[in-house]
Amino acid sequence: MKIESKGECLSISEIQELTAANSARFRDEVQFALSGSPSVVEINLSQTRFMDSSGLGALFALYRATAKRHGVVLRLLNPTSEIQQLLELTQMQQLFEIVRR
Amino acid sequence: MAPLSLEPARPVALRLAFAPDRASARAVSVKIRSFLAEQGVPEKELFSYELCIAEASNNAVEYADGDCRHLKPIAEVLFTPSQIELRVTDHTAGFVLPECIASPSPMTDRGRGLFLIQSVMDEVRYLRGTTENTLVMRKKRSSVRTQTVAYDQLPVTALSLGDCQRQLAESRAQVEGMKGELLLRSETLSSVFRCCAELGRIDKTSEGFEPRLLIDLLHLTSADWYVLRMLSPDGRKLLVAAASESDLPSTPIELPAAGDKSTSIEVKVAESQKPARFDIRECSDLSEPLRAVGPAGAGLVCPLCFGGKLVGTIAVGRRGGDFPLGRLQDEVIRTFAEFLAIQTLNLNRQKMEVRDLVIERELEIAQNIQHLLLPRTLPQLPGFGLAGGWQSAREVGGDFYDAIALGNQSLLLMIADVMGKGVPAALFATTMRGLLRGLAARSSDPSQLLSSLNRLLYTELSSVAMFITAQIVFVDLKNHRLTAASAGHCPLLFVPPRSRSVSIMPIQGLPLGVLPETDYPHMTARIGSPARLLLYTDGLTDTRNAAGHAYGQRRLRTWLRVNAIPGRNATELRDRLATELNRFRGDVPMVDDQAFLILTEEHAGVRPPSPTGGRQIRLQRGSFLFPISA
Repeated sequence: MKIESKGECLSISEIQELTAANSARFRDEVQFALSGSPSVVEINLSQTRFMDSSGLGALFALYRATAKRHGVVLRLLNPTSEIQQLLELTQMQQLFEIVRR
Repeated sequence: MAPLSLEPARPVALRLAFAPDRASARAVSVKIRSFLAEQGVPEKELFSYELCIAEASNNAVEYADGDCRHLKPIAEVLFTPSQIELRVTDHTAGFVLPECIASPSPMTDRGRGLFLIQSVMDEVRYLRGTTENTLVMRKKRSSVRTQTVAYDQLPVTALSLGDCQRQLAESRAQVEGMKGELLLRSETLSSVFRCCAELGRIDKTSEGFEPRLLIDLLHLTSADWYVLRMLSPDGRKLLVAAASESDLPSTPIELPAAGDKSTSIEVKVAESQKPARFDIRECSDLSEPLRAVGPAGAGLVCPLCFGGKLVGTIAVGRRGGDFPLGRLQDEVIRTFAEFLAIQTLNLNRQKMEVRDLVIERELEIAQNIQHLLLPRTLPQLPGFGLAGGWQSAREVGGDFYDAIALGNQSLLLMIADVMGKGVPAALFATTMRGLLRGLAARSSDPSQLLSSLNRLLYTELSSVAMFITAQIVFVDLKNHRLTAASAGHCPLLFVPPRSRSVSIMPIQGLPLGVLPETDYPHMTARIGSPARLLLYTDGLTDTRNAAGHAYGQRRLRTWLRVNAIPGRNATELRDRLATELNRFRGDVPMVDDQAFLILTEEHAGVRPPSPTGGRQIRLQRGSFLFPISA
């Protein structure tokens, strides 16, 4: 997983999978990166081949952490069709801005 | 309407036990995804199966509590062309699975896992047990679903018809899914029946068990190998009765003595009488016989036992531990093992029954010989009565007597006791009786007769370490004299006339069969008139009562003195003696045969024949046989 801070934007990428086995680490590392108060958080899911409910839980934790800060944009980039379906099935697409580019 | 595919559903299964941690749970879902990919499941479907296994495995790890945290959950997949079934067995307290789980709010952090499983799979069930629970997740294959769509696309005239068609399609798909399992169970059942017929036909135990039947088991369980061991007759070893390949174990395994620790997997199973799975990679014992199946061998060892009685073990498995046997295969092997144990026990029981029948028949034959041994009638000479009594402690005894009339004035009496019981004793008695009757035609001298009998019987008797005690008495009825010789037998007793005591003739002599050439001294005595004479075997004096006291010669002499009064005939005395012996013995079982001959002089002349005509009337253990009424 790669976490980069570009100005106001926090970019998280190279996530192979987000599961019960690594979601705790994901939360901790992203929480730490949020201390820089970014106004945009972009999570690039283009390389994420698999995600389970724990992974969804990690995304929801990120949503809760940023919700306290008004104006922060949460963006999911290029999720695979399977993960897109997963987000829709759990209605979590309502919490994020899903962008394809 | 196109018929649904009836492609034979041959299940392929994968079963993985995993360490109860998140990383292992993740690894299992990846392995199952790869397994399904190998079976040709399209890439677009794999995500769903991986997701369901991951959710169920995570729950199995997360919710295990206490000691159960160390137990390995099991993930399984059963693949058929029409359906994929996933199973995860956990050791948690379990939960109640709602019929339908509503979509959780996006603002909640919980409840997504089961919701996802129910959304993705066609059928989800949670089977709760006392020690483990299994989440069963089924999904019809896309080919079947495509056909379901095809039904949907048929022109419909009414909504209800469309619904009916959909239901019909779903039902057919379900039937298709069940077909695989039914096929397996049907094959199992027919194999078991074949096994039953095979075992019923052979006359050997499991040594003759057809390898074909065990190969059936391999086919049914998709296993690679088997080793069938049977318990040795002494119950100390497990002997290899059959193995699928020659490189598998063939040497017997010793069962450890009580208190010793067993190490072999098969021995442990035999001792505990409980099936056990094994994986050679987890076995540290280098001497384990099942190592022969390969370094990654794994499988199931089942005891062959029924009603607590062990007859052997059967080990079945695969050479590769990454593809262990599934639960369904386990069930087939267990059923097969139980069935084989029952059949083997039944076969053993049948053999024992046949053996008992043979023994019973042998005894019957020996008893018939014994019947022939005792004279059907005893000689009847004017003025004298002769009666004999016989009772055997077992079915066949070695005691017998005989009496031969030598004209109208003399008798040759013989009483003998063949050491031993059963058919050999009865055969020697028959031979001796025949020889005596032959020899008596040439000589009536008791000493000579015993010497001749000893010479003729010595070789046979000594070759089987047997001997015979016997007494031969020549009675001159006219002169009231007797001459007797004894081959180690009990002394004869007689009551002299006008005497208040009983005389004993203590003649010395070796039993027949001890030395090849033996002289037998004789004694002569005047028995007076009326004559009263008793020949007997030691079974009379050795009769014991409840207090353990022997009847003894002293009691016998007293009885003879008191009872053998002039005017009392031989038959009456015989009855009285039989009653006396039974009275003394009471309920104590007989330990030795009893035989005796009584000769009395009856001034009143010959008594009329008894109501039975002097023939044998019965022969039962514990009851006297009275072959003659003189």
